Amino acid sequence: MQLEETKAADAARLHPGWKRDDHLLALLARNARERPTEVAMRERDHGIWQEYSWAEYLDTVVSFAAGLEEKGVGPEDLVLVIGDNRPNLYFSMLGAICLRAIPSPAYPDTPPEEIVGQLKREGIRVAIAEDQEQVDKLLGARESHGEPRLIIYDDPRGLAGKEPEGVVAFTSLLASGRERLQREPGLREALLARPSVHDVAILLHSSGTTGVPKGIPLKHGHMLSGVRNAAAAGYFQQGEVHMAYLPIAWVGDFIFSVAAALELRFTVNIPEAQETALHDLREIAPTLYFSSPRAWSAMLTRIQVGIAESTPFKRWLYDRFMPFALDLERARLDGRKPGLLDRLRHGLGELLVYGPIKDQLGLSRVERPYTAGEAIGEDVFLFFRALGLNLRQFYGQTENCALAVAQAPEDISLTTVGRPFPGVEVRIDDSGEILVRGDNVFDGYFEDDAASAKSLRGGWLHTGDAGQFDEDGQLVVLGRVSEVVHTRDGTRYIPTYLENRLKFSQFVKDVCIVGAGRDFLSAIVCIDLHAAGQWAQENGVSYTSYAELSQSPAIYDLVQGIVGKLNAMLPAGLSISRFVNLHKEFDPDDGEVTRTRKLRRDVIDQRYAKIIEAVYAGDEEIDFEAQITYETGQTGVIARKLSIRTLEPATGGRG
Amino acid sequence: MFYRLAGVHHTRYETARALWPVPADRWQVAIVALLALAAPFFLSSLYLGSYLLPWLIWSAAALSLTLLMGLAGQLHFGFAAVMAIGAYSSIHLARFGVPFELALIGAGLTAAVIGSLFGAAALRVKGLYLVMATLAMQYLVDWVIINVPAISGGAQATLRTPSVSFLFIPLDTLSARYYLALGWVALVAIFFLNVKRTSFGRALVAIRDKDFAAAVIGVDPFRYKLMAFFTSSFMGGVTGAVLAFCYYRAVTPEQFSFNVSIQLVAMVLVGGLGSVIGGFLGAGFVLLVPIILTNLVAGMAAAGWFTVSSNLLAHVPLMIYGALIIGFLLFEPLGLAKIYDNIRKYFLVWPFRHSRS
Repeated sequence: MQLEETKAADAARLHPGWKRDDHLLALLARNARERPTEVAMRERDHGIWQEYSWAEYLDTVVSFAAGLEEKGVGPEDLVLVIGDNRPNLYFSMLGAICLRAIPSPAYPDTPPEEIVGQLKREGIRVAIAEDQEQVDKLLGARESHGEPRLIIYDDPRGLAGKEPEGVVAFTSLLASGRERLQREPGLREALLARPSVHDVAILLHSSGTTGVPKGIPLKHGHMLSGVRNAAAAGYFQQGEVHMAYLPIAWVGDFIFSVAAALELRFTVNIPEAQETALHDLREIAPTLYFSSPRAWSAMLTRIQVGIAESTPFKRWLYDRFMPFALDLERARLDGRKPGLLDRLRHGLGELLVYGPIKDQLGLSRVERPYTAGEAIGEDVFLFFRALGLNLRQFYGQTENCALAVAQAPEDISLTTVGRPFPGVEVRIDDSGEILVRGDNVFDGYFEDDAASAKSLRGGWLHTGDAGQFDEDGQLVVLGRVSEVVHTRDGTRYIPTYLENRLKFSQFVKDVCIVGAGRDFLSAIVCIDLHAAGQWAQENGVSYTSYAELSQSPAIYDLVQGIVGKLNAMLPAGLSISRFVNLHKEFDPDDGEVTRTRKLRRDVIDQRYAKIIEAVYAGDEEIDFEAQITYETGQTGVIARKLSIRTLEPATGGRG
Repeated sequence: MFYRLAGVHHTRYETARALWPVPADRWQVAIVALLALAAPFFLSSLYLGSYLLPWLIWSAAALSLTLLMGLAGQLHFGFAAVMAIGAYSSIHLARFGVPFELALIGAGLTAAVIGSLFGAAALRVKGLYLVMATLAMQYLVDWVIINVPAISGGAQATLRTPSVSFLFIPLDTLSARYYLALGWVALVAIFFLNVKRTSFGRALVAIRDKDFAAAVIGVDPFRYKLMAFFTSSFMGGVTGAVLAFCYYRAVTPEQFSFNVSIQLVAMVLVGGLGSVIGGFLGAGFVLLVPIILTNLVAGMAAAGWFTVSSNLLAHVPLMIYGALIIGFLLFEPLGLAKIYDNIRKYFLVWPFRHSRS
């Protein structure tokens, strides 16, 4: 008890400005008090939207907390949460937070051994799972590891009535919690008063690009100050309609769908399934929409493919209006105002082309569309801005609640990510690393003091990103500091920078630039099956599989053109001289990319060493067997003869 | 382009199953309804009385027939006789002093009972044989009306409709008659839209697709075929009465001759089997296109573009009209309703070819 009090006092000393009772549950209680009947959450279930009001939200959270406490969950206990977005998973996370326990979400497609790793590292004994698939995974973990002893499931399909030992339905826990609340008057208020702003509200994880994921505990106060800073900058508004379709284990989802949703009374909408997310998006037409650059790019591809196969008149209209809007947007970014005639033409275009496209995508009401995570392609960025969506980039890490820097609506540029939010300080240290300080920056990694000390040297968060401020004081992010690589003659380059620029092409899904310590740069390219397949159809290239398409000479010509275009823009010594099309996509199941689709270079270097050697040996082709892992955990092999292309030296570049 | 669907979501299955879940469709229905309600105020009595009014009544007739032919799949080539029964019954009932409202229902019931009697043949015969049975009904009813003076008032006689009022509104003015016809066709249309969503409607569709398969899944063909004939004939009978009182205002047997039955079948086929909008479009096409063509050809001849003998002038529009019907059946066998549907879908997925979500 003594110890606990000292700990609480220590935590409070870290953030003297925070008020103790200013936490997520208090905000939920406030919303339930002020707007009991307003819709807080919607989930599409069997084709119709089930609505949950703020009063129901609070009632479910508190009842679940009461039931969960009976199962022996208490302060600082970690609770694994795994599954797709479901209202009950959000409710149960908040229920755990109410008991001062800490939810530790995991991506739904995490393989069993990683789950066991997380259970062991964090000493987790209780898990909340979405459905039978996740329960099976956890039961497997229990067999090998002994934990989690309690599994709570949401979707009863395949489970109800025949639960194994220690597996409990969300609904039954809820019912026993309701009973307990009736038995013990005053418990509801007592439960709601328990959390403090200094409590860790959630344990998120770094993506694990290098090694084991690190636990990132975020407190109520971190998230709320992040959200309030962002709201002060006009980044969120009161009562947004929000689509919660991104994984709950990702920082953005907890910040958007829980923290900001509670603080600013969002209506959070949850799609029926990942596969129907785009359809459900149209039914809801949110006002706030976040999507990764990759997803925006996929959306653009979807539009372009749709137009390409549309009827001649509609295609003719699109060809009249879309390039015009792009020109107009370019001029606007250059600071020129459109004339009256242009504005009239744009209005007509809004009626005939832009408006209908936005309506088809479900973006017609979006006022705050965002993207972050990596650089967005100029084509994509311009396209959506030309459609009339004020697409903006922001910048942040899990460590600072993903809310550090964002573009203001009026000064947008392609290269920068904008200015720091009010209340957030950003500076560049001597080595060119971006440092962040503010109340939204976390207090240290989970049980890893060495990493925390390294990351929080001098009170500043060391982001590990290289960056600089441009003349207007806007932040430019160049890439990871750790990723700066040198070729044999000492030329510095950042592979992700080149990779992202290649990925701006819709035909390139993934690419890995190789060249550290080598004479020249080369690329391993994974083509995009959807876009390249469509292109192949239009150009009469026949194919039966991804592997065959990737090796067709026509596709090689196509990729060569894309690489050549990038080479022309790069300084001497940085051009990509040889490339090979891989006959399989990079896959998180094979460990080549993380679940958030970031490259794991060491894995790629090791697995494709034979290809890389052939590239630098000057071979024209190579027989290669690629290992693949199926979702069941079985492995297989795809063998193929891969050809290697050499590019003509670009003007100014080396051969 | 006009169809904006973003943000349309349903929290109950009832609203998802509504007649017009798409806002743009609701707007179209509302605008058409408003125009129809306001028509007496902006249309001349010529257009109102000679074009719009018969169009509405014949639409109701086509809808009554398409319930039988389109939904239940039972061919009927004697529907004019059903309407004749309704028309004569209502006049005689009104002359006996029965209130007009009751006379309308009586007309429907008489037509329904007699129509079902002939429809009973449908339990034994199908296709062309059913056509023969219904044709027999046409000729029998024609014969009975002409040869029983108590019904027709004697051969070659014309029965004038007595002056009546509907819900205390006398049907002396054109507008009053127009609104009665509008109300009736609206009622029929709403009934039809809804009947498609009921178990009754689905049972009829099952019988249309294969009657013994329907029997296997528990739909009693005997009962439902009779019900289809009864319902359709009831609606046809009332429509006949409305036609007599609101449009012709006098009846003779020739008004319900065999040609009229064929015209009704044409309306249903050209409009599109089993479709509400098809009923309206088909009736409009069959009724109005010959008139428009005649005016057009006559106008062009008068303007001196070409010279035709007056004898030929009477036939040219009919020839074009026949060619149009053949063209429709060739190029869009599903009728005008399908053309409307194609146009609607063209705009629904605008600017794409298919739905993107």
